[in-house]
Amino acid sequence: MPRSPSRPPSQPRRRLLQGALGVAAMSTFGGPLAFRTLAAEHGLESRTRAGLAFGTTVALTVAGPDAGTLDGALSDGFAAMRAVEAAGSLLRADSALSRLNRAGRLDAPPEHLLTMLRFALDLAERTEGAFDPTVQPLWPVWAEASARGARPDPATLRAAVACIGWRRVSVATDRILLEPGTALTLNAVIQGYAADRAMAALRARGIADAFVDTGEFGAAGTHPDGTPWRLGIADPRDPGTLAATLAPFTGFAATSGDYNMSFSPDHADHHIFDPATGYSPGGLSSVTVTAETGLVADGLSTACMVLGAERGQRLVAGWPGCSARFVGKT
Amino acid sequence: MTAGRNGSHPTPWLHRFLAGLVVALLASCPAVAGQLDRAGMEQYFPVPLVVGERDETLPVWPILKQEAGSYEVFAYAFESVDFAPIPGFGGTPPDLLVALGPDGAFRDVKVVSHHEPVFLEGLGSEPLFAFVEQYVGMSARRPIRVGRPNARGSGASPQNTVDGISMATASTRVINESILAASLAVARAKLGFGATNAGLTVVARPDADESLTVSELSARGWVRRLTVTNGQADEAFRDAGLTAAGDGPPEAPLTDLTFAYLNAPAIGRSLLGPERFGALMRELGPGDHAVMVVSHGPENPLGEDFVLGSIPERLTLTQGGLAVNARDMAIERRGGAPGLPDGPWTILRITGAAGFDPSAPWTLTERIVRERGQIFPEKIARDFSADYALPARLFIREAAEAGPSWTDPWRARGPELGVIALALAGLVPVLMRQTGLVADRRRFPAFRLAFLAFTLVFVGWYAQAQLSIVTLIGLVRAATVTHDLAFLLYDPPSLLLWGFVLVSLVIWGRGTFCGWLCPFGALQEFVALLAKPLRIRQVAVPPRLDRWLRQVKYGLLAGILVAAAVGSPLADSLAEAEPFKTAITLYFVRAWPFVAYAAGLLILNLFVYKGFCRYLCPLGASLAVLGRLRLLDWIPRRAECGSPCQLCKVRCRYGAIRPAGQIDYPECFQCMDCVTIIHDPGQCVPEVVARRRGKRILPQPVAAE
Repeated sequence: MPRSPSRPPSQPRRRLLQGALGVAAMSTFGGPLAFRTLAAEHGLESRTRAGLAFGTTVALTVAGPDAGTLDGALSDGFAAMRAVEAAGSLLRADSALSRLNRAGRLDAPPEHLLTMLRFALDLAERTEGAFDPTVQPLWPVWAEASARGARPDPATLRAAVACIGWRRVSVATDRILLEPGTALTLNAVIQGYAADRAMAALRARGIADAFVDTGEFGAAGTHPDGTPWRLGIADPRDPGTLAATLAPFTGFAATSGDYNMSFSPDHADHHIFDPATGYSPGGLSSVTVTAETGLVADGLSTACMVLGAERGQRLVAGWPGCSARFVGKT
Repeated sequence: MTAGRNGSHPTPWLHRFLAGLVVALLASCPAVAGQLDRAGMEQYFPVPLVVGERDETLPVWPILKQEAGSYEVFAYAFESVDFAPIPGFGGTPPDLLVALGPDGAFRDVKVVSHHEPVFLEGLGSEPLFAFVEQYVGMSARRPIRVGRPNARGSGASPQNTVDGISMATASTRVINESILAASLAVARAKLGFGATNAGLTVVARPDADESLTVSELSARGWVRRLTVTNGQADEAFRDAGLTAAGDGPPEAPLTDLTFAYLNAPAIGRSLLGPERFGALMRELGPGDHAVMVVSHGPENPLGEDFVLGSIPERLTLTQGGLAVNARDMAIERRGGAPGLPDGPWTILRITGAAGFDPSAPWTLTERIVRERGQIFPEKIARDFSADYALPARLFIREAAEAGPSWTDPWRARGPELGVIALALAGLVPVLMRQTGLVADRRRFPAFRLAFLAFTLVFVGWYAQAQLSIVTLIGLVRAATVTHDLAFLLYDPPSLLLWGFVLVSLVIWGRGTFCGWLCPFGALQEFVALLAKPLRIRQVAVPPRLDRWLRQVKYGLLAGILVAAAVGSPLADSLAEAEPFKTAITLYFVRAWPFVAYAAGLLILNLFVYKGFCRYLCPLGASLAVLGRLRLLDWIPRRAECGSPCQLCKVRCRYGAIRPAGQIDYPECFQCMDCVTIIHDPGQCVPEVVARRRGKRILPQPVAAE
């Protein structure tokens, strides 16, 4: 889902998540304290640690018999998210991706950056450019126009669109090169990928039951009381209510929507761009994709926003273990 | 497809990174690091609030609250010492826990620790806790001033004034500046507002100097004006239902401010002249900035109600939407600059901690207030602003990557070190050659008084190199907690003296420091000179009481060292038994109980010579203990000393010669009186007797014990 990183995390889109842990932990059990009490009744300790990453609030919830292990696992989980940020966050001027965008080349890129970038370029090829990590030049154009309460003028936008093209990036293990004028964003996949890495860090500590919220979601095992994790999906036009509930929920889920960071009150212009036109795609209000990894779920949900429901459905069908839910514009 | 917001604006994040570097460096310095860990934070922000994972680069904890399953940021919590370690009146920076909301409002302010004497020893901490409570709900976007007690009750704006505490003006000001400077640094890094970061220093380029007239400066925009005509003011107040409140023609200026940034020599030197510019730059601390405002016009923000040394109520300096704390410097007012308009003026000081970037644009805003209604007039305010910007070529921008280096003070204090080293080099041969100057009973006392004057005035008051038990406390803490001795390097003159004292301890004992290099000791010696003209007679302390009193200092020393070793703040309180800070470091400008204590010791000294040194001084005690390592029994004795001759024993003002004639080295202050006597054929009784018998005898060193 959402990719408007630099805004302080009180942004409205976060309310969508109220579905997330909301159904899993809160509305059913009445708050974190009750959650811990219930866990304790089943002989399990449980811990939640929240923080800020990717310009939003993130949280890890784990359960297990030993409190010390849980605290160590949570620290590892956060360290994993920090490592992903250091590789690919545009919010950090010192991240590998920021350095790549500034210099046009990066030697010895970190593994996380290579993984995300290779997946993004592969998805760009599969979608024939409907998904494209090189749309970054559009951002300053739209942000600047939005600041003066206007839409960008077509000539400026055309100039930015001319810089877009996933073939303008060449990736090798020891070096990434960008053609002049090209700039990358991995915001379409970074939070999903961070959910993968955080979950892997927890698993490496032997945690079987965990819920990961990096803005996208991952769940493993069950709730400490033995019931399945559940994930609520908020209504994109009324984030206070749930449009759907995924139950049981394991694996990963990502949502992309037009409500998150809109340039216009009717949500026609928002932070997801059609690489072919430089404008936002029109058909859908939000897409939720579940997949075996957060990286795939996150990338596909963004691609589906651009492709529309019909072509999106076909794309998702090509990935084993994936499914998508579409909400049209109203 | 998606794009990230910050792709094209790397600089703020670079600043943030550099700020992080600086903070990391500050955090590695033992004296100023914050104290709270996750559990500590959770005590201040209990459930339902959630203490988030600490920020990776800055010592800032996000405080989250859970609302219907999702988290929202309630505040960013941090300790002020991590960002603005401003030393308090007790010398140690106060540590305040500040919770700053995402909107820039203070959610909470609490005192984590402080060493402000006025609260510790006088008023108690309750008024301080109540003082910081006042910030809750105020915004870090505005400058906040400390008013008089009950200032809010008497009409001061609760948005930018907190009630002060009488008797604690200095302490509350330090706390206010700690809160504001730390909050600005965090707001800039985490909330994205503000122009610069605390990690970046921008200083005026000293060589960008040229002599310009005021009109040339105005033409370049380096001197700017903020003018509001009567007509413009009336227009601004029209929507408040106030019409034509001003008298005078609409096109005539109501307010006319001329202002300029002074640190750039091309501006400051041109406006103030070389002498006043030089004096101003010396008075400004490193990293501080000065802005001059001249008011010329009937509406005058520097008028009668303006208090020298205060933050002007109606002038605000903002940068990047954030107010910058700018305080009047209360300097010499006479004279002005040729070509500047007549009228009252101020030079505002912006401290380095404010994070002001003079190379970035800033704005001067004047608030004009009018009253509506007759009987209970309502105050209506309107703001008028003018922008100011200087070209980057006037400045040197430096990222403070290395932090303060220990070599800086050594370079800066080189001359002082040289003078002290020369003095020590002169002292050593005098003390060594006992038949030289020491034996000259007319010239030696003059030398001694001159050297003591040097010790008091230069070493003590000027170079601030009064050695103190506080250093030993620091050493104990370094040994037990911080494992870092780097703090010693930041005070070169003291370290030089410590080195010399340790060597002299091994050779001569404690006396070299206590008798020659202790500024407070020298002060006592001068005060004692008054005893004779005042006809004050020394009180003879009975020998048993004297022996007992001498042990008190060892008890005090043990108490201080034990307290320091177990990490008790009692060590700091006990160290106040030493009047050095009051008398030497602070020139007696301190809360009256301290001054009374130091003065009392000086008066005691008139009756019991150097009573403090002999009975109380914990530093002297520590040197006496270490002085047991002394290699030489260097004071010459004769077989007749003690039996039958008691002259030296009677003359020794320190009681350091035993009736049997031996020297009690731990009590000896190396005044050399007895050495002078023994080398003086006219004074030393055995020699006088021997000469009568036609013989010459030579003194011999005799074992002390």
